[in-house]
Amino acid sequence: MTIWSWDYTFEVFPVIFKAMWITLSATIVAFALAMVLGIILAVLRRSSFKPLVWTIIGLSEFIRATPPLVQLFFVFYDLPFFGISLSPFVAGVIGLGVHYSTYCAEIYRSGIESVPRGQWEAATALNFSRTQRWTKVILPQAIPPIIPMLGNYLISMFKDTPLLSAITVVEMLQTAKIAGSASFRYLEPFTIVGFLFLVLSYPSALLIKQLEVHLNRRKKENKAKKSKVKDVAPSC
Amino acid sequence: MISINTYLELIPSLLDGAKVTIQVLLWSLIFTFIIAFIAGLGKLSKWMVIRGISTVYIEIFRGTSLLVQLFWIYFVLPLFGMELSAMTAGVIAMSLCYGAYASEIVRGAILSIPKGQYEAAIALNMTPFQRMKNIILPQAFKIMLPGFGNISIELIKGTALVSLITLSDLTYQALTLRNTHVGLTTEIFLSLLILYFFIALPLILFVRWMERRVQVGRA
Amino acid sequence: MLTTMSKEITEKRIQTEKPFVVYKKVSKSFGDLKVLREIDFSVYPGEKVAIIGPSGSGKTTLIRLLMTLEEPTSGVIEIDGVPLWHKEVKGKLIKADEKHLHKMRGQIGMVFQQFNLFPHMTVLRNCTEAQVKVLGVNRKDAEDRAKEMLEKVGLGTKLDNYPSQLSGGQQQRVAIARALVMRPKVMLFDEPTSALDPELVGEVLDVIREIAAEGDMAMILVTHEMEFAKDVADRIVFTDGGKIIEEGSPKEVFENPKSERLQSFLRRMRK
Repeated sequence: MTIWSWDYTFEVFPVIFKAMWITLSATIVAFALAMVLGIILAVLRRSSFKPLVWTIIGLSEFIRATPPLVQLFFVFYDLPFFGISLSPFVAGVIGLGVHYSTYCAEIYRSGIESVPRGQWEAATALNFSRTQRWTKVILPQAIPPIIPMLGNYLISMFKDTPLLSAITVVEMLQTAKIAGSASFRYLEPFTIVGFLFLVLSYPSALLIKQLEVHLNRRKKENKAKKSKVKDVAPSC
Repeated sequence: MISINTYLELIPSLLDGAKVTIQVLLWSLIFTFIIAFIAGLGKLSKWMVIRGISTVYIEIFRGTSLLVQLFWIYFVLPLFGMELSAMTAGVIAMSLCYGAYASEIVRGAILSIPKGQYEAAIALNMTPFQRMKNIILPQAFKIMLPGFGNISIELIKGTALVSLITLSDLTYQALTLRNTHVGLTTEIFLSLLILYFFIALPLILFVRWMERRVQVGRA
Repeated sequence: MLTTMSKEITEKRIQTEKPFVVYKKVSKSFGDLKVLREIDFSVYPGEKVAIIGPSGSGKTTLIRLLMTLEEPTSGVIEIDGVPLWHKEVKGKLIKADEKHLHKMRGQIGMVFQQFNLFPHMTVLRNCTEAQVKVLGVNRKDAEDRAKEMLEKVGLGTKLDNYPSQLSGGQQQRVAIARALVMRPKVMLFDEPTSALDPELVGEVLDVIREIAAEGDMAMILVTHEMEFAKDVADRIVFTDGGKIIEEGSPKEVFENPKSERLQSFLRRMRK
């Protein structure tokens, strides 16, 4: 048996490539869900009703600390018992979306907290309304720094989509596995899947890093004075 | 009402699975951190070849997906005559994957040490090895800890994937039990999630504690 | 009184001995920026040289080259007749390796503007680590020597403190002790009081004065403290624009500056 067969490669590549659309659409839909649910979680965490805040914190920690794979099984196999039957794709999107929503909420929170207190006070002093304070002062400052963070989580969610194969979503990995078990050749299909993931995620990661550097530079220019003061006391 | 007793009977096999999960976890943790240091330091090496190899390794394993890597190692390597047990394949895949992520933590922490520390070590005529071992790494290590904690939590979550290559870990056991006790699906999966949470809990508390300490230090 | 006496001794030495450190046409550029332009400069054994000049004139870079923290772009630096950054192979000078640098560095010590104490070590440990690891001294002897030096800088009671528990002035005194325990033949001070609050400057200068008075170690001081330079130094070197513009005894330089640039610099410093 030759190590690598190009004939077979050209045969399975189009099949796997087609499945990439399932992978990509699952990523996009799940991430949109995560971003929206994240906002809800972040808003609820700012509530003044403490028990609600604690519940949200506890639930988020729980979701974040347990395997997304198990959560997918839970959504897919368990919700039907409560009368909710979902297609594998929808179950997968919900599972990943909920898992990642807890990370999104955390990112939103860090973005909002990164806006200095003085900005709230200044906005209040200028007699902006509550909505204006958010839309004119806080969010314009809170959103840019979180864009690269969201981007990074988008990529990691993309790389988590092969988990969906476990609940029978026929995405790239599942397609490769089916092809592999039919031909008893796993080398080419799995390598192609790995290659496609790399080709999509690596440039995206570079792009996000670029964006991050760009945003940091802007921030640094604003804070040039501050950092100079910091340089004087390094050994603490 | 049938369920309570049946449910209790399921617990021992879940715990058997937990044993396997913890075994995979501990081995992977050890190798993850060894690899993290090798690759993290490698990427900072002054020799281009070592830097290049480290970078390629890190980008490949961060750029593809853990499950793809796991399948590759478990299904493809035997074609090259490397027959691996599911356990070995699982530990190798997890260590290589999370090692790549953790290497960036190592690198970031080392780079965050002020230049003056290197210079003081040079002025005291320490060798490059002594500078790293006695001055830089002890300081960098503290900075790595929260990151290492987070990676470890990710690793716990990642161990569930070994069930997909037939290793009878916690998740695998739960799936098997569910096949025979479909009526107990909710109980089985909830117990499964809770067990994972309890395995992760010490690490979560550790990370939160470290984060709070860093914040207090900054204020 | 001790100061003036030792000055006479060093002056005598200067006439009889060969220079210990010699810079020959040394230049240093950072990208397009020329920081040092063909500097010729020497320091004699036991001599105290103060380098003054406006910021950005290259004075810090001058001593960082000697500590091997920066590599010269061209030119040769010699310590006791041996090239620092180069090795002689078959009559040709080639770039020195880490091993050679390691051998040469043992003769130089440095005190930094930002102290650069090791934050993860106690004061005592800061002063023993390199003795044990680099000089191979056993820990007991290293501690004895460290305690002696810490006593000298007035911090004999702070042995078990961590740097973060000390004031800036105390940290800098520990840094001086840390450099002293290594017994360098030349000690470099890079603006040792610039990062200090004004009220802490005096204690550090006093310690440096005391060390200078002991006489046997050469010192190169980059400083903005003119009075202090005048007191401590045998010779003052004025740099501007990457060149040495003028040098001479403190008396000559401060009381009778020849170049226009030095005159205007001194006027500005007096304001």
